Amino acid sequence: MSSHNESILREPLITGKDITYAQITDDILLPVENKPNKAWWIGFTVAALGAMLWVVSVGYTFWTGIGAWGLNKTVGWAWDITDFVWWVGIGHAGTLISAVLLLFRQNWRNSINRSAEAMTIFAVICAATYVVAHMGRPWLAYWIFPLPNQFGSLWVNFNSPLVWDAFAISTYFTVSLVFWYCGLLPDIATVRDRATGLKQRIYSILSFGWNGSVKTWQRFEIVSLILAGISTPLVLSVHTIVSMDFATSVIPGWHTTIFPPYFVAGAIFSGFAMVQTLLLILRKVMNFENYITMFHIESMNKIIMVTGSIVGIAYLTELFIAWYSGSEYEMYAFANRVAGPYAWAYWAMMTCNVISPQLFWFKKIRTSIPISWVLSIIVNIGMWFERFVIIVTSLHRDYLPSSWAMFYPTWVDVGIFVGSIGLFFTLFLLFLRFLPGIAIAEVKLLLKSASLQQKTKLVQEGAFPEDQVEYFRNSLEKYDTVTEEDIKALRKK
Amino acid sequence: MESNKKYWKGLEELNQTPAFVEGSKGEFAESIPVEDVLNEAGLSTKTPRRDFLKALGFGLGAVTLAACNRTPIHKAVPYVIKPEEITPGIPNFYASSFNGQSVIVRTREGRPISLEANPNAVGLNQGTDASTSASVLDLYDMSKLQAPQIGGKDVSWAQLDKAVVDALNKAQAAGKQITIVSDTVNSPSTLAAIAALAAKYPATQHVQVDAVSYSGIIEANRASFGKAVIPSYHFDNAQVVVSVAADFLGSWLAGEEHTQDYIKNRDHKSLKGGKMSRHIQFESGLSMTGSNADVRAAIKPSEEGAVLIGLYNAITGSSIAGGTTNAKATTILKLAAAELVKARGAAVVVAGSNDINTQVLVNAINSALGAYGSIIDLDNYSKQYQGSDAAFQQFLTAAKAGQVGVAFFLNSNPVYNYFKAEDAKAAIAKVDYTVSFADRADETASELKAIAPNCTFLEAWGDASAKEGLFTIIQPTINPVFNTRQAEQSLLTWAGVNKSIHDFVKETWETTILAGTGKAWKDVLQQGFVYKGSTTGSAYASNADVNAAAAAIVNDSKRVSGGVELKLYESTTLRDGRYANNAYLQELPDPVSKVTWDNYAAINPVDAEELGVKETGKVTVEANGYKVDLPVILQPGQARGTVSVAVGYGRTKVGKAGNEVGVNAYPFASLVNGTIQLSAKATVSKASGIYELAQTQTHHTIEGRNIVRETSFAKYLKDPNSESGRFADTHQTYDLWNKFEQPGHRWVMAIDLNACTGCGSCIVACNVENNIPVVGRDEVRRRREMHWLRIDRYYTLENGEASLTKEKEIAKADGMDYESVTVVHQPMLCQHCEHAPCETVCPVLATVHSSEGLNHMAYNRCFGTRYCANNCPYKVRRFNWFNYWNDSRFDNYLNNEFTQLVLNPDVTTRSRGVMEKCSMCIQRIQAGKLQAKIENRKVKDGDIKMACQAACSANAIIFGDANDPESEVSKALRNERVYYVLEEINVQPNIGYMTKVRNTFEA
Repeated sequence: MSSHNESILREPLITGKDITYAQITDDILLPVENKPNKAWWIGFTVAALGAMLWVVSVGYTFWTGIGAWGLNKTVGWAWDITDFVWWVGIGHAGTLISAVLLLFRQNWRNSINRSAEAMTIFAVICAATYVVAHMGRPWLAYWIFPLPNQFGSLWVNFNSPLVWDAFAISTYFTVSLVFWYCGLLPDIATVRDRATGLKQRIYSILSFGWNGSVKTWQRFEIVSLILAGISTPLVLSVHTIVSMDFATSVIPGWHTTIFPPYFVAGAIFSGFAMVQTLLLILRKVMNFENYITMFHIESMNKIIMVTGSIVGIAYLTELFIAWYSGSEYEMYAFANRVAGPYAWAYWAMMTCNVISPQLFWFKKIRTSIPISWVLSIIVNIGMWFERFVIIVTSLHRDYLPSSWAMFYPTWVDVGIFVGSIGLFFTLFLLFLRFLPGIAIAEVKLLLKSASLQQKTKLVQEGAFPEDQVEYFRNSLEKYDTVTEEDIKALRKK
Repeated sequence: MESNKKYWKGLEELNQTPAFVEGSKGEFAESIPVEDVLNEAGLSTKTPRRDFLKALGFGLGAVTLAACNRTPIHKAVPYVIKPEEITPGIPNFYASSFNGQSVIVRTREGRPISLEANPNAVGLNQGTDASTSASVLDLYDMSKLQAPQIGGKDVSWAQLDKAVVDALNKAQAAGKQITIVSDTVNSPSTLAAIAALAAKYPATQHVQVDAVSYSGIIEANRASFGKAVIPSYHFDNAQVVVSVAADFLGSWLAGEEHTQDYIKNRDHKSLKGGKMSRHIQFESGLSMTGSNADVRAAIKPSEEGAVLIGLYNAITGSSIAGGTTNAKATTILKLAAAELVKARGAAVVVAGSNDINTQVLVNAINSALGAYGSIIDLDNYSKQYQGSDAAFQQFLTAAKAGQVGVAFFLNSNPVYNYFKAEDAKAAIAKVDYTVSFADRADETASELKAIAPNCTFLEAWGDASAKEGLFTIIQPTINPVFNTRQAEQSLLTWAGVNKSIHDFVKETWETTILAGTGKAWKDVLQQGFVYKGSTTGSAYASNADVNAAAAAIVNDSKRVSGGVELKLYESTTLRDGRYANNAYLQELPDPVSKVTWDNYAAINPVDAEELGVKETGKVTVEANGYKVDLPVILQPGQARGTVSVAVGYGRTKVGKAGNEVGVNAYPFASLVNGTIQLSAKATVSKASGIYELAQTQTHHTIEGRNIVRETSFAKYLKDPNSESGRFADTHQTYDLWNKFEQPGHRWVMAIDLNACTGCGSCIVACNVENNIPVVGRDEVRRRREMHWLRIDRYYTLENGEASLTKEKEIAKADGMDYESVTVVHQPMLCQHCEHAPCETVCPVLATVHSSEGLNHMAYNRCFGTRYCANNCPYKVRRFNWFNYWNDSRFDNYLNNEFTQLVLNPDVTTRSRGVMEKCSMCIQRIQAGKLQAKIENRKVKDGDIKMACQAACSANAIIFGDANDPESEVSKALRNERVYYVLEEINVQPNIGYMTKVRNTFEA
């Protein structure tokens, strides 16, 4: 976007000295253009083993039947749908970052959108596997779509939230993929231009003939905006529809009108936590510290804090409404969550999702990289428990006490979940190896406006009043990539 | 004219250029490089694009052709000449009988698939108990012997016959006894066959012995009335019933018949007339009968006699010593005695004890109450249990002394069910030649020299006489499947009577039973039974010495009292153990504990706490020198200081399903005063290890919810609407849905909670009718039983004045003794909701509503998201987690082509990954409609019966068309007591329940 002079009050989005466009390209393409390092190989091996576990567990399930899981006559969904919702939720941050933040001109998204979108796609792939795997007869999964068929006049049930879900997830996946790939085009072209031989040919095909002309850039900008426009409602709709899988039922604890906003907030909450988990490692391992700065980390922590609070309010509202409804089944469902046999899961959820993000009120904590990372993982544990609590504790004790039952997972349940994490990281690590993990073109846009070196230059030129510069200097203290020298250099010459 | 015109194709041909001449020599214009290709060099020649495409095309074509293998063919051979009576798809029905009850066997294409009570029969019950419904499976049991055996090796019948006849002749020559040991035989033909053998071999004796013995009652009646029989009980004539440890609705004598009579004074029709009997139960373990009692007192086995003495004293005004029992029981005893006296002539006392003295006392009480005649019928007496413990003792003594030359065992398995198995084994070993008629090499048969495998009743000719004057016929519905021969035919053969069993049975009937009835053999085959009994019994007066009996009772109670008292009982599901290999019965939950696939030690929760045992714990029970570890169940209602254990488990040689299920409890029994006694002094201690029982219900209280509504009879009399709490009466309901017309039929059901005793025979009938797979113990533990119909059982614990239904309140309550408990049984099945929550959530419309008000399930369309089951408020949907009916891991019974013949061809088996649930026997509805159409009439009320309904002797389930205002079900649903479970969530269920009414003292 434009390279107007940005207010000095805004914190820099790129740090480091003497950064040039070429340097950005070199830095970001380092993992793509070189042999992977040891850290990548270790990570990849672990992730691939996880993915293997996933293949084994899902294969075993397909071979023997859903009975391989711990489900029973009362609890018909448990880890499968918990994992499904968890992964779909995680995907949401990517869409929010790429679409909503683009529309709101939040430039800081430029450094993190690529990875976040990739994360979205891989998370949705993981989620989609559960849609198929949880079916009793997965080979008939295509029946979920209203395909013309010769079975007679068979059609889908448009009243069923599961049909809406199938549409929501497939739309979400398609739009996210297209959006992500369009954004990748200029960067793939960059890789192409620097590569030789077979690699060049492959990237050449992948770049869809990007030629870097003004017209191309113009179209690129327009397509990005259009796709952002299409994606934005998806941020709200996908998890709203996922929540309707529960909200439209008659089961106490599921039949709740608060679910759509509560699920969307929870999704963004968990999505940002996952982005945080990934990027804190990524910036360290890939040496992206200058592009993914403390400002990014802190901003995401703030979002986590806000959405965590929304989720917390939703939890409390649920309890209040359960009491206020006067419905004995509703009241029991929530009393059972709080104090029943799965109370440990409820309190794990409460601790992880409501209490732990409140720590981000302290600046020290939200700018601390190790604490942020730990908390981001805690949040995702909490969000997994949230779905588990909603699904299992509502089902296991519903209307007729005669049917009340406990759910105990089997090794296959655990295997598929752990395996899906392996699958996710396998895909993510392959992505980092073959595609630029940061949007090169978009980061370059920031270099002449929002980078520290640009701001330093302007300060040295005396473009800003001293009190504003002082404010700016203070704001740099939290940056781990900004040295004393850098701050000292912020003086009018 | 000959034409010599010549057409040329081109200038080359006209001009005959050298190139053309050269080219026209070969068949092809261009030479084909066959040689080049075939020699080795050819492989390295450059392949032109066209050749490549040709090869590709050929390859593809060849592979396609090769792949066009026909799918495996299962040949369905049509009839070349169709048997006249068989039309494929149309069932045939045959009258037969099982355990003396006249039944109708349904066969399809020559194979029996189910049986129901003969609707026209009189004399016994109109429903079937669980073992009767399940018995059809025994025909298809793979564990049965397929040929006669001598010494464990298959032989021909001729060889066996020779060996047996030799042995018989040898015994006769040696002057030794020939004994036929059997359970009760009331079949005239079997008795005639035995008589035929006795005619040839005069040393033949017939010893009848029942595993669970009633010889105490027989002997007591001999003492009291000079009539050594077990009477028939007519509970429909009793307004007050007091039972002392008799599970008379379940396993005691003819439980199913008693149920039918008993319910007649308690169901909705009786209540409409303002009448309800009162039932008071004294017992130690919570039996099914006890769970239905209006008032129940927990007593120890040693107190049974005291309660009866107390009752006798209170009723007759005598003061025999020994009539004191625990405080609570004493209070109830006094009230009970007053009730009995008030209802004199319509009051009866029954006792489960097999002790002669106890039964003599009971006879005296009933005599004083004037129960003989109307309620207790000694004229049309029962012949279901004629076993004599004393006779069996004599046999053992004779055998041990080497006096028995040949012993036959017919439906008798003493090595398993005699309390001193080693004793029985030793005695058998002393017999020169031993033959079993068992259909399998069971515990006894495998110890014997020869096995002459009997047919099942579905393959045999025969008859029965369960009651004096009632005769039922058994006719075969299929040829013997294996090389078996029915026992009667074997006996005739060995007796040298050269007659087919058919002729023999026919002759027996024509000469004895049918004489004077004006009926012919053919009539019997069609009707299935002949009833010659009188309508009412006559009065009898007891003339035994009550004082002596009471003294003996007090003396005998010391044998049991002191320490923990053990009570053995016959479970209502597995009975005495003979049906142990029937998977349907193994998976039928116990009506009270809801345990499947095991027996257990039931102890009071307070005792358990004192012992330090929890659920899934184990205890060691030791009594009468026998010691065994049993999983424990904390049973509310169990008397403190007692432990109850079911017999009939722990079989070792019965077959795949029944082997090693549970623990054999028969060795705990003892022989006292000539009869087998099932109570003993025991020690119970905590054992190591954990054992999870497979229960179908693990939460036992209703948590204060109004899903079961109950009232007292007094309140009901004031207001029949009492406690029915119909939501629609007090609330406006709103409807988001379109109303659909149901112009034809609207199939609905009414369930009378007052009539349901919880016995579970409907569950088995449903399993058999709808091919519901048995899943086995492990899957039940995982809460995956497939029953479409279940019976929910809830406890209310009484603690002083308070009735506690919430688990938390119960846990907090002080001084709870867990002895006072009230129980309710609620059959739960698909409610066929008009606004079915399952239907809206199915993504593929696999479950939809019919225009007749039914919730259909299209298995083929289901791909198994399980959302419907999650969204079912009644949790009645069942998912096929595995391919249960055809998977080697669930090989309880069905995983072979032979047993699969039991499947009802009208109902599809469900594959893995598919949801299923009660279909309201849609196949029966269709058949009923079709029949009406063929007969060009409307469907009449009663034409169509659900399998569960047909099995229910209590008539607790009423099915029919709600659009017909005169139908039974419409009338029943207009009853004031009707409510709908969970009606407040507006799913509009189609099954109405009637409030449970208890005739309690307080109200």
